[in-house]
Amino acid sequence: MRPYLFSPMIERRTAIERISLLVGGALSPQLTAGLMGQVLNEGDSVEITDAQRDLLAEVADVIIPETDTPGAKEAGAHEFIIRLMRDCYELPAQEKFYAGLARIDERSQTAYEKPFVDLSRKEQIAIMTETGKKDKGYFKQIKQLSQVGYFTSEIGVTQNLQYMPIPGRFEGDVPYEKGQGVIMNAR
Amino acid sequence: MPNLNIEAKKANTYDAIVIGSGVSGGYAAKELTEKGLKVLMLERGRMLNHVADYEAAMKHPWEFQYNGQLTNEQKERSPKLARDYPYNEMTADYWMCDRDSMYVEKKRFDWFRPDIVGGKSIMWGRQCYRFSDLDFEANARDGHGVDWPIRYKDIAPWYSYVEKFAGISGEALGLPQLPDSEFLPPMEMTFVEKEVRKRIEKNFPGRHMTIGRVANLSAAKEAQLGVGRGPCQFRNRCQWGCPFGAYFSTQSATLPAATATGNLTLRPDSIVREILFDNDTQKGTGVSVIDSQTQEEREFYSPIVFVCASTVGTTAILLNSISDRFPNGFGNDSGELGHNLMDHHFRAGARGTWEGDHDRYIYGHRPNGIYIPRFANIGDDKRDFLRGFGYQGGGLRGNWRRAVAELSFGEDFKNTVTEPGDWSMGLGGFGETLPYHENRMWLDKDNLDKWGIPVVAFDAEFKENEQKMREAIKNDAAEMLESAGLKNVRTYDGESFPGSAIHEMGTARMGKDPETSVCNGNNQVHAAKNVFLTDGACMTSVSCVNPSLTFMALTARAVDFAVGEMKKGNL
Repeated sequence: MRPYLFSPMIERRTAIERISLLVGGALSPQLTAGLMGQVLNEGDSVEITDAQRDLLAEVADVIIPETDTPGAKEAGAHEFIIRLMRDCYELPAQEKFYAGLARIDERSQTAYEKPFVDLSRKEQIAIMTETGKKDKGYFKQIKQLSQVGYFTSEIGVTQNLQYMPIPGRFEGDVPYEKGQGVIMNAR
Repeated sequence: MPNLNIEAKKANTYDAIVIGSGVSGGYAAKELTEKGLKVLMLERGRMLNHVADYEAAMKHPWEFQYNGQLTNEQKERSPKLARDYPYNEMTADYWMCDRDSMYVEKKRFDWFRPDIVGGKSIMWGRQCYRFSDLDFEANARDGHGVDWPIRYKDIAPWYSYVEKFAGISGEALGLPQLPDSEFLPPMEMTFVEKEVRKRIEKNFPGRHMTIGRVANLSAAKEAQLGVGRGPCQFRNRCQWGCPFGAYFSTQSATLPAATATGNLTLRPDSIVREILFDNDTQKGTGVSVIDSQTQEEREFYSPIVFVCASTVGTTAILLNSISDRFPNGFGNDSGELGHNLMDHHFRAGARGTWEGDHDRYIYGHRPNGIYIPRFANIGDDKRDFLRGFGYQGGGLRGNWRRAVAELSFGEDFKNTVTEPGDWSMGLGGFGETLPYHENRMWLDKDNLDKWGIPVVAFDAEFKENEQKMREAIKNDAAEMLESAGLKNVRTYDGESFPGSAIHEMGTARMGKDPETSVCNGNNQVHAAKNVFLTDGACMTSVSCVNPSLTFMALTARAVDFAVGEMKKGNL
């Protein structure tokens, strides 16, 4: 068996150097290894500050709040979004995404002279409602990302959905009562 | 030191060589070894051990990194694969790195190349349907391509033979255009599918809807239990590899059977550069192989060679096997090698929503959908195009991924998406394409891959007949769904490129006449009778049904013939 399934390290380093030249060295190589031993994206990533991380966690939590089950923040939906952005999106798309996040904070400053994370939940909902109207494309994106991040997290799956890792049988017509929950999709 | 050379050659000599380890190669290895032959099975991809190497199969959703999406790096290494969904986070390591052998597209061709033992038998869709005489007689009837050298009666017993081993779940209908298989119990339709079936069959006499026929063990019989397979657990994660061996793959079925004989040598990481030819005997004598990891080159010899490297892979090897006798490719006296490249066209159809019945749901994940057998151009159903199409589809309730009222968020949004959505039903066509001589692949000799082998180039397209058929596929689907009571019925026509259905066939077709075909009705290369082509490359036309079952049946039949001929001293 081959020890290493991805392109040789030297090619990747060359790619990183090339990108570094293009963007003037403003890079944060995220060297965290993935679960499957995959080498993740080492180069073209926006550096995330703690403030951005907290803001993203808060926004996701407003989109999917705590109810009788935990919300997006506790489920770590923002960690999924950060990882996805870092490893699967090209740099311009990452920059565009974090610019949209900054606009949410700007709206908060304009309306309440406070950062979004310091607002009451009622005020946060008002800002997100405004974002939905004024920044529709971005709202749709962050809502969808929060949805995916939450409903693929352990909390999201096990506390909200019917999770059937090994159903053992299939039935095409069974009774359903509200509250049983949608079945977690297989893949 | 001549003795040493003879000894070395002997050590590299087998009774038969099988190139490729997918659905066809695996079947060839099983049949040949069970008949007592010492077999070398060569696979260009890496070893993928059954169960142990299915890394994604038993993970929880939260143990994946990207919800199935590819990293920038994965997209960069295989930019062509990255254009479509089969290459994703869970299966990325099963597919070849495009950049190692960057093929050329005069027109877009989606070529899905596996990089593992088992080939596409690991990632396949598992839908299994028999061809009928409607298919085997099609070329003779309308004059496109050449006539098949075989008919349904020639292959029918071999369908039964492979089905009993592979295990095909489905429902018998008794239709001449879609002969029944040896079935394991059918899977159940969903509530809405059952309703739609009743209405379609009532409103459109002569049309039928049935549950998909699929190579998943709805019940495991002795033939399957004997090789270590278990029944389907209804997880619907088949493409990642099944830890229960519940669907047919090389690893679950043919490889353990072949291994049990003690007659099999499996050699992964082995890229076949060419098939060797002896002008004195007019036979293939073996293969030249490059070790993909060490670049080391060596030869293996055998009196029988089965080429099962996938449609394009098989023909690429033949085209690269040049000798004085075959200056244009092995067995290419006709000039047809590389031509008549076909795939099904798909991704056209209709879908609609079903109102109400929110008190009904499903249990489990069915690795299968419904099927509507071909009805166009049968009996009185005359159309403005040739041949026909079948539909695959299904009726389910919406899951948490659905987009709910665009601007909603918060508690209501969360509560809404954690409930199942409306029922909806979709029908997507799979259409037959004609065998056009000008749709072809060849080798770009100026463009060598990582191993110094010329890369493949493609020039193939769907034409007017396929476009007309797509209109019918959309309209008929919408008409059936509307008549069945679905609301908001919309047609769709997504882009379908040759190769995307991963049903590529042709390029080394069977035929009666060596002047117009590459192999005969027993899959023997006309001009080298001990070399057999039994994967998709040999197909003379493509029907509208999924083809893998036919590759299995043709392979088992060809092995039986080959061993019979060998015993008679004819090979």
